Amino acid sequence: MSASRRTTSSAGLTHLLGVGFWLALAAGFTSVAFADELPARIDALIATAAKDAPLGATCDEATFVRRVYLDLAGRIPSWREATAFLDSKEANKRQQLIDTLLASSDYPRRMQDLFHAMLMERRGDNPEWTKFLQASFEANKPWDQLVREILDPDPSNEAIRGAAFFHTKRLDKVGQQETDYPGLTRDVGRLFLGMDLQCAQCHNHLFIESYKQVDFQGLYTVYQNTFIRNDLKFPAIGEKVLTKKADFSSVFDKVSLTTGPRVPGGKEIEIPSFDKNEEYLVPPDKKTNFPGAPRFRAMQFIATELPTAGNKAFADNIANRLWFVMMGRGLVNPLDQQHATNRPSHPELLDLLSQEIVAQKFDMKWMLRQLVLTQTYQRTAVLPAGTAPPKPETYRIANEKRLSAEQLMNSVQVATGSRDKPREADAEKLRVAFVKAFGNVPQDPEVEFSPSLKSSLFVLNDPAVLDCLAPQPGNLADRLLKISDSAVLADELYLSVLTRKPTDEERTAVTEYLAKNLERRPAAIANLSWALLASTEFCLNH
Amino acid sequence: MKHNPLCKPWEHRLSRRQWLGGAAGAAAGTFGLGNITTSAFAVDLKKKYKQVLFIWLDGGISQLESWDPKPNTEFGGPFRTIATSVPGVHFSELLPHTAQQMQHLAVVRSLCTQDDAHSSGVERIQRGDPKNRGVVYPYFSAAVTKLLGPNDSGLPPSAWIKPMSGGFIYKDAGFLGPKYGSLAFGDGKPPENLLQHSSVSNQDLLERSQLRTLADKRYSQTHRDGATEANSFVYDMGLELMKRQDMFDMSKSSPRDVERYGTHDLGRHLLLARRMLEAGVTFVKVNSYGWDTHGDNFNGSLSLVRKFDQPFAAIIEDLSAAGMLDNVLVIAMSEFGRTPRVNGHLGRDHWPEAWSLVMAGCGVKRGIVVGSTNDNGSYVNSEPYDIGHMFHTWFNALGIDSQKTEYNNNSQPLPIAHEGCHPVKELLA
Repeated sequence: MSASRRTTSSAGLTHLLGVGFWLALAAGFTSVAFADELPARIDALIATAAKDAPLGATCDEATFVRRVYLDLAGRIPSWREATAFLDSKEANKRQQLIDTLLASSDYPRRMQDLFHAMLMERRGDNPEWTKFLQASFEANKPWDQLVREILDPDPSNEAIRGAAFFHTKRLDKVGQQETDYPGLTRDVGRLFLGMDLQCAQCHNHLFIESYKQVDFQGLYTVYQNTFIRNDLKFPAIGEKVLTKKADFSSVFDKVSLTTGPRVPGGKEIEIPSFDKNEEYLVPPDKKTNFPGAPRFRAMQFIATELPTAGNKAFADNIANRLWFVMMGRGLVNPLDQQHATNRPSHPELLDLLSQEIVAQKFDMKWMLRQLVLTQTYQRTAVLPAGTAPPKPETYRIANEKRLSAEQLMNSVQVATGSRDKPREADAEKLRVAFVKAFGNVPQDPEVEFSPSLKSSLFVLNDPAVLDCLAPQPGNLADRLLKISDSAVLADELYLSVLTRKPTDEERTAVTEYLAKNLERRPAAIANLSWALLASTEFCLNH
Repeated sequence: MKHNPLCKPWEHRLSRRQWLGGAAGAAAGTFGLGNITTSAFAVDLKKKYKQVLFIWLDGGISQLESWDPKPNTEFGGPFRTIATSVPGVHFSELLPHTAQQMQHLAVVRSLCTQDDAHSSGVERIQRGDPKNRGVVYPYFSAAVTKLLGPNDSGLPPSAWIKPMSGGFIYKDAGFLGPKYGSLAFGDGKPPENLLQHSSVSNQDLLERSQLRTLADKRYSQTHRDGATEANSFVYDMGLELMKRQDMFDMSKSSPRDVERYGTHDLGRHLLLARRMLEAGVTFVKVNSYGWDTHGDNFNGSLSLVRKFDQPFAAIIEDLSAAGMLDNVLVIAMSEFGRTPRVNGHLGRDHWPEAWSLVMAGCGVKRGIVVGSTNDNGSYVNSEPYDIGHMFHTWFNALGIDSQKTEYNNNSQPLPIAHEGCHPVKELLA
């Protein structure tokens, strides 16, 4: 519990809100122990913004267990795990489950998949990068440290050197296109500061007052000076000696400007000048192809200045992204449009989350735990009857979330009981196949549910899915084949795939369908299972 | 023609071809191979979908070796011209088959565009070179599928047949978003996982679909709209495409089609394009590469233009014979033309100043040439048209008022074609 205790916050929110008001609100909550703790404060801010509009009820146990497994373990619970939770009589079993999952080995794996997709946006994989992410999340590495290691990768540290893949993959030459230095610059802004500076490359942003051309150019100066090192077998990035500021001018007024390396919104650094032969800490070596280590390295400067507690854009970005992961929509939406004219849906809430994650030294596991403990997270996604659907940005009901390719792969395996079967090489092949079918195209952030023809054809015809429906000792098909009572079969099927009991209507439909197909029962069971795997309900975290 | 002024020569040819087309279809039908073709013809005739066939000759076809020959001039090159089926209109002799289809075509010889580099030109042309508003404009393919809306063929609205790799190409859709991207058929091959798995019978497939639909219906009763719709949409499309997988099997082409379209890339790909149009795909783009003849332009054109000529003439003839040309807008073009001046490598370089394209079908006048260039082909000497004019013209040919219709990009209104340009009235039927 100590990790969850609220630390000093400068928000002063308790003064802004009537204490009595939200204490009264919090009184109805069972999952929150103390009203001054973060979850209750989050819920109070959501409730205040909703004004008189009703908030969704707490979701039922079955929905909760599925939701939290998907979010924290990256998969649905097995029917055994689900049953154990549903049967438990413990008063605070939700919180217990949350803590169990956060401590499980599934959690770092889930984070690794999540951040791989978020940071690389399906550009590709690399074992060194995977190793870096894995080690980082196993150690619950603070976000600022993780970003620092990415922004200035250390090739001499085997555990973290793979972080360079963030840069090297983006600097890869594709066909005849020029090396995409502007793209790398843009992504540093988008992913770590929530700022898409693309339009500011050539002029101050036309619609976004706060995005200046110098913000783009200050970072671009750094990245246009980098290169992929070819003297090392793992991803590594080098820097040329930077001797002068970058010249640029707006395409509108053509006035010449200059800037040295600069974090957006920060101070420019003077580029130091060295005597000839003094510019290198370690000079280049033609024999080994070592490109030299410049005495002044702009990447090091950016890595020191950008991921800091004092950089509000940096803290807001991670607070907003973690909120998005759990709540299905960023407080700032789109995630990379953090600026004064695109206000967060709940400005005080973003400030609060941002301050809290800074106070917790960028402890992401802590923050996710706080979010999952909120009533806001635990609301139903079922639409209220008789009224218009609440807007997603009100969080009055839970927003449905797209399952990633990895979550789908894990969940298909859990549902059909074929988990842990494949050898490592086969598992990797399977992962690649699922990512190909369900991942977005490279560089397209995976934000919304976007099924495609390739994903439907994959589920319709690919052995990676269909083989799971063939009976194997102990798997779903095998278990269902042994159940003669169709109503019992329906219960087991729905619990295994959709983590819930069927409704009476659904149970009847299963019974009738099986009765009609007595002579082809194995096929009928496979068809029933397939239909649930292909259903929207399965493909979403709701 | 001389002895009967009321009857034009191509009408004889056309009716004979029509008969041939029908007979070939029927013959294939008896072997169970041509079902898609024949039935789809009927479907299309009935429903009058508007469709587009967009043939992209990447790198730049030489206008002088195709639509706007200048024989016996300083830059004219070695080829002669030939008469076409429309009196007074001449093409390069490298287009003998297409020349016989001129009665269906509209040739524009007065293009004058802005970009002479491939890397930027390809995009600018296919996006209609709109004014820069800080957004990425959709390619013509995405624009058309957005503006025409879905038809009820159940097939992907936008297909892209190209050499090399396939996949799902979303970037072309620009701000319209990935769902307006194209399904690319690399080397005309079907997408992965199109074949039904051996463990699944037809009955299983049907029942799976019914059971999934039922599950989605139940879920949507209590949850937000949109997700189940999207899910059902892609499953229905997958099943529809599975039903039509014969379309990709070139071994089932009739000998007549093989002969007329040819067995090279562009021939096979245009034949597949015809099948896709017949099946109801809204926008079919066919790419051909290697047209950037900086060196040895004349031998290059000899081979390239001929490879284009035969299947292009065949598809125009077939679409017309099937009555589809009234609803299918056909466009064949590149990102620019080629320099009249011949360089030191006997090549022609990039020339956006004066070049040509050809179109036919839906909403377009037939058998006409619009615009002209000066004697040696170096400049336009009629009203020059930019790609913006062409976008206006094409949209209007498809029944979309390009000067009134706007995109709504997150409440930002955006013109669908460059507001400095206008439709070319002469081209519109």
